[in-house]
Amino acid sequence: MTDYRTVPTVCPYCGTGCGMLLEVSGDRLAGVLPQKGHPVSDGTLCIKGWAAHEFVASPRRLTRPLVRKDGKQVAVPIEEALALVAEKLRGTVEEYGPDAACFICSAKCTNEEDYLVSKMARASVGTNNIDHCARL
Amino acid sequence: MSIKERARELLGGEVEGVLGYRIVGGSHLPQLFTAADIDGMAEDYPADERYPLTSIVRRLQAEDPGIRLAVVARGCDERALIELCKQGQVDSGCIVILGLACDEELAQRCGCAEPFPSEIMQGRRVEGVPEDPLVEKIERLPAEERLDFWLSRFGSCIKCYGCRNVCPLCYCKECALDDAEMVERGRVPPTQPAFHLIRALDMAGRCVDCGLCEEACPMGIPLRALFRKVGRVVEDNFDYRPGRSSEEKSPLAVLGTEKDLE
Amino acid sequence: MAENDNGKVRILAFLCNWCSYAGADLAGVSRLQYPPNVLDIRVMCTGTISPYHIIKAFQMGIDGVLIAGCHIGDCHYIKGNYMTYKRFQVMRDVMKFVGIDEDRLRLEWVSAAEGEKFADVIKGFTEQVEKAGPSPLRSGWEKDPANWESIRNAFKPLETRKPA
Repeated sequence: MTDYRTVPTVCPYCGTGCGMLLEVSGDRLAGVLPQKGHPVSDGTLCIKGWAAHEFVASPRRLTRPLVRKDGKQVAVPIEEALALVAEKLRGTVEEYGPDAACFICSAKCTNEEDYLVSKMARASVGTNNIDHCARL
Repeated sequence: MSIKERARELLGGEVEGVLGYRIVGGSHLPQLFTAADIDGMAEDYPADERYPLTSIVRRLQAEDPGIRLAVVARGCDERALIELCKQGQVDSGCIVILGLACDEELAQRCGCAEPFPSEIMQGRRVEGVPEDPLVEKIERLPAEERLDFWLSRFGSCIKCYGCRNVCPLCYCKECALDDAEMVERGRVPPTQPAFHLIRALDMAGRCVDCGLCEEACPMGIPLRALFRKVGRVVEDNFDYRPGRSSEEKSPLAVLGTEKDLE
Repeated sequence: MAENDNGKVRILAFLCNWCSYAGADLAGVSRLQYPPNVLDIRVMCTGTISPYHIIKAFQMGIDGVLIAGCHIGDCHYIKGNYMTYKRFQVMRDVMKFVGIDEDRLRLEWVSAAEGEKFADVIKGFTEQVEKAGPSPLRSGWEKDPANWESIRNAFKPLETRKPA
C-alpha cells in the first residue's frame, strides 16, 4: 500500500540553506516541497531547490567509473580508474608543480566528502586550486 | 467529533490512509497515516503551515488506483478536489473530505471568498473577503501604468516555477512554461509578460484561490491579484466559479450551447 | 503584406480556412484595397487558436491581433467558433488588466462571401491599432525587435496543421 511521508532537510545546493521537505513514497524520493515557516526560506525555494530530488534516481547518474579509451568512454573497475588518476596526477605534479592540478567537488556530495577532497588538494598535492559548484 | 477522531474511525475499514500532518521538530509536515500510526496525527492546523494536500492526493491515486483516502481539506482544498475530479485527475468517489474551516485571522489574511468547506468537521465558519482591494486599485490605473506595474513585478521573477509546482490545478505533464518557444531558455527574469500571462490564462475557470502560489513566490509577486481578476472575468462573462459545483463544467472546457455565448 | 514595414504597425490576422480566409481571397480577387501590414495565418478553424498563440504574438512585438472566423452557426466544425468567442472574452479582459490595450485584439466573423467586409475590417482594425500606437512590448524577447521574417517563421507552421 502506498506510503507517503515528508522529511525536513536543508537544500544541498548553495550556501543559503533553504528548508525543504523531501517527499518520500516507500523507498522512493517523489518530490520536494518548500518548508513553510522556515527561518531562512519561509516556504519558498529557487529552481534548484525544487529540483533537488531529481538527481538521486536520475538515469543519467554515473554508476560506474568511465575511462576514455580510443576516443570512447568505457566502464572500468574502480581500481583501474583510481590507478590511472593517481598515475596521471602524480606525473603532472612532478613535471609541472602542484599548481598544475585543480580539484572540483560538488554540492551533490556530503560536506565531509568535500572536506576530504580539499584536504587531499592542500595537504597531499600541495595546491590551493580547489573549488565547488556553489563556490563553497 | 474532531478530524482526528473521525480519521481514526475511517481507518477502521472505510479508508486505507488519511492525509494529514505530523508534528516534527515543532513543524507540521504532511504525512499519510494508516491505522498503525494514526496516533501521531496532529490535531491542530496552523494557518502558516498549509501544504498542497490535494496535489498529494492526486499523485497517490495515480500511483495506487482505487486506494481510498481521507484528506484534511479547507474550503480551497475542497474546491480544488471538485475541479480536479471534473477534469478527470482524481476520483472523488474514493476520497473522504475531513472539512476544516479557516479561522478569522487566516480568512482575513488569505482573503478568499469562502474560507470553509461544504461540511465543517473542525473549526467555526467565518465569512470570507468578497473583493480584492488590490485588483480594484490596479483597475483604476491608466493602461500604461498598469503595464508598468505588472512588468516591474514580473521583472523580479527568478523563474523558480514555485507558483506552478505548488498549484493544485497544475498537473500538465508537458507545461507551456517549459516550452522554449513560449518562454525563452536561460533567461531570468523569464519572458515578460508571457510567463505570467500563460499561467493567468491557464488558470481561467480553474483557479480556486487557495493562495499557495503567492506564498511560494520568493519575490512577493502579487499573483493572487492577477488570478483573482481572471476568476472575476470568467464569473462576469460566464457566471462560472471553479469549485462551486461538482456537475457544472467550466465553459472553457466544453463547447456549450448558443445560450452560453450571450 | 509589405516586407518593409516603414515603422508602421504590424498586425497578425488568424483566418479560418473555410470562411474568413476565403473572404480574404475574394477581397484580393476583387482588387479591394486594404492596408498591407497584415500577416495572415490560415488555420483550419479559429477554435484551434490557443491563447498561447496570442501571447506569443504580443511577446514578439506585434501591435494588433485579429481573429476572423465563421459566423456563429456556420462553423465548418459546428461549434469551433464557440470556443473562439469564449476564449477571446477571457483574453481580452485579462490582457486589458495586465495593460495590453483591448484595442489591440479583435474578433470578427467574416464569411467566404464577405470580401468587402474583410477589407473593411482590416482597414478599421489597422486604423484602431495605429491610434493605439506601436505595442509597448515592441522590444520583445528577440535580440532585435522581431522582424516579419521571424514572425512568419514562428506562425506559418500553424498552417500545415491537420484539421482539428
